Amino acid sequence: MRRVRRALGWVATRPAVQTLAPFALLVGAWQLMVALEVYPRAFFPGPGDVVRALGSLTYKGILPAYLQDSVTRLAVGAAAGALVGVPLGVLIGVHPISYRFFWPLIIFFQAIGDIAWLPILLIWFGFTLTTMTFVIVYTVVFPIIFNTALGVRTVPVDVVRAAQCLGASRARVLWEVLLPGALPNIITGLRTGLGYGWRALIAAEIIVGTSGIGFMMFDARRSGSVVEMILGMILLGLLWYAVDAGLLRPAERATVERWGLVRPTG
Amino acid sequence: MDDGLVIRGLSKVYHTPYTGEHVAAIEDVSLEIPPGEFVAILGPSGCGKTTLLNIVAGFLPPTRGEILLNGRRIQGPGPDRGVVFQSFALFPWKTVLDNVAFGLKMRGVPRAERERIAREYIALVGLEGFEHRYPHELSGGMQQRVGVARVLANHPDLMLMDEPFASVDAQTRMTLQEELARIWEARRPTVLFVTHDVEEAVFLANRVVVLTPRPARVRATVDVPLARPRLWQRLVEDPDYKSLVARVLALVRDPGG
Repeated sequence: MRRVRRALGWVATRPAVQTLAPFALLVGAWQLMVALEVYPRAFFPGPGDVVRALGSLTYKGILPAYLQDSVTRLAVGAAAGALVGVPLGVLIGVHPISYRFFWPLIIFFQAIGDIAWLPILLIWFGFTLTTMTFVIVYTVVFPIIFNTALGVRTVPVDVVRAAQCLGASRARVLWEVLLPGALPNIITGLRTGLGYGWRALIAAEIIVGTSGIGFMMFDARRSGSVVEMILGMILLGLLWYAVDAGLLRPAERATVERWGLVRPTG
Repeated sequence: MDDGLVIRGLSKVYHTPYTGEHVAAIEDVSLEIPPGEFVAILGPSGCGKTTLLNIVAGFLPPTRGEILLNGRRIQGPGPDRGVVFQSFALFPWKTVLDNVAFGLKMRGVPRAERERIAREYIALVGLEGFEHRYPHELSGGMQQRVGVARVLANHPDLMLMDEPFASVDAQTRMTLQEELARIWEARRPTVLFVTHDVEEAVFLANRVVVLTPRPARVRATVDVPLARPRLWQRLVEDPDYKSLVARVLALVRDPGG
């Protein structure tokens, strides 16, 4: 009896089990609603239907191609957004004249949402990767700018002074002190920006409509395939979780948590 | 010209933009620290002694007066003046070894050479075995040992210490004071040490400069001819030490100015 309990305890503390348990509960409740036939099956398919749709779409090759399109767009957009956002954030964070110059522009353009750019982008660039990338970069870049600027401004003044009195030039202070000191905020900016970017991508795919997960979901509306819509929604959540768990969390653990800049999240 | 630190007619007035007020923090302070001397600046909290140190470090510009280090006028921070901060101000993203080697790295000393020198100073402050730890893994007292080693490894002409032991517990503070005295006796760096602790000033310094409350002026300079090596166990019973502490304390608490 005790051995059984200990084994159950061991299972319950596995990271994979802890991650999956809440989802298992959710799927269980979903299956229960389907089994009770609360709603007609055509509008409210069950987990099994979604898994079958996943199998057939994968087999036809549609899903892998669409997934690859969406992920590539996000990766290109996010990389470009970080390449623009981090230097601009550092600049306005450390340089008052740049701050006064860029701040009104940044606020002005932030107000023109990513989707508001779509009509003119479609005229300029058509239904192309350029249009998609622009929308994603546009969405990703603002949280990165704001968080990076905040990060460099909150590095303790004594730490900057310590570097200066040890002979560090302005460039070395930037590279050795301000950037690593701002990293917790830069990661937060990336996480927020990528989250927004992911949503903007789906919206852009629905409107631009050539391929991708967003396109698949909107296209499913025409054929009335609720199961494909639900599959798309699940994939969105899973992909974003994979980006967070596979990329952002390991980066955090290896840097800001290792350095004691932030407390570990367990 | 190796004539140490010379401060002539230094004044500092702060302007508060919110109220439009001008506040005098330092008024006409003159002071000399010859090479190899340990001078403690003593004054009540908020008297402007940290401002004085920040001006010498080059972090703040003076309003009037001049500061020369070995004949060179001070303009901005530089590696000839190393600062040990009350807040330690270590680089959290660097190991103990990389913190201590930082100044040498900035001077372009090759990695193997700077790590050899850094290890020597880590040993000097008694932190062997902790080279690859990060600052947050160390106690406050150990962090400040890193702060001292980081400055010493860079061979500054002047070491500036801003209440460096004020944020560690009382027992650790006494140990660190004894170790600083030992290191000074062995290496004779030129030190300007800011504190509000009378006993600490007398224990460590060759000379104690007592400042008045804000605005800071030099009230008196007291020579401390106590024998070295200085150890707390011996000094607490020493009548010369006791009478010096009493004399300095009377100067600090004198309301007349």
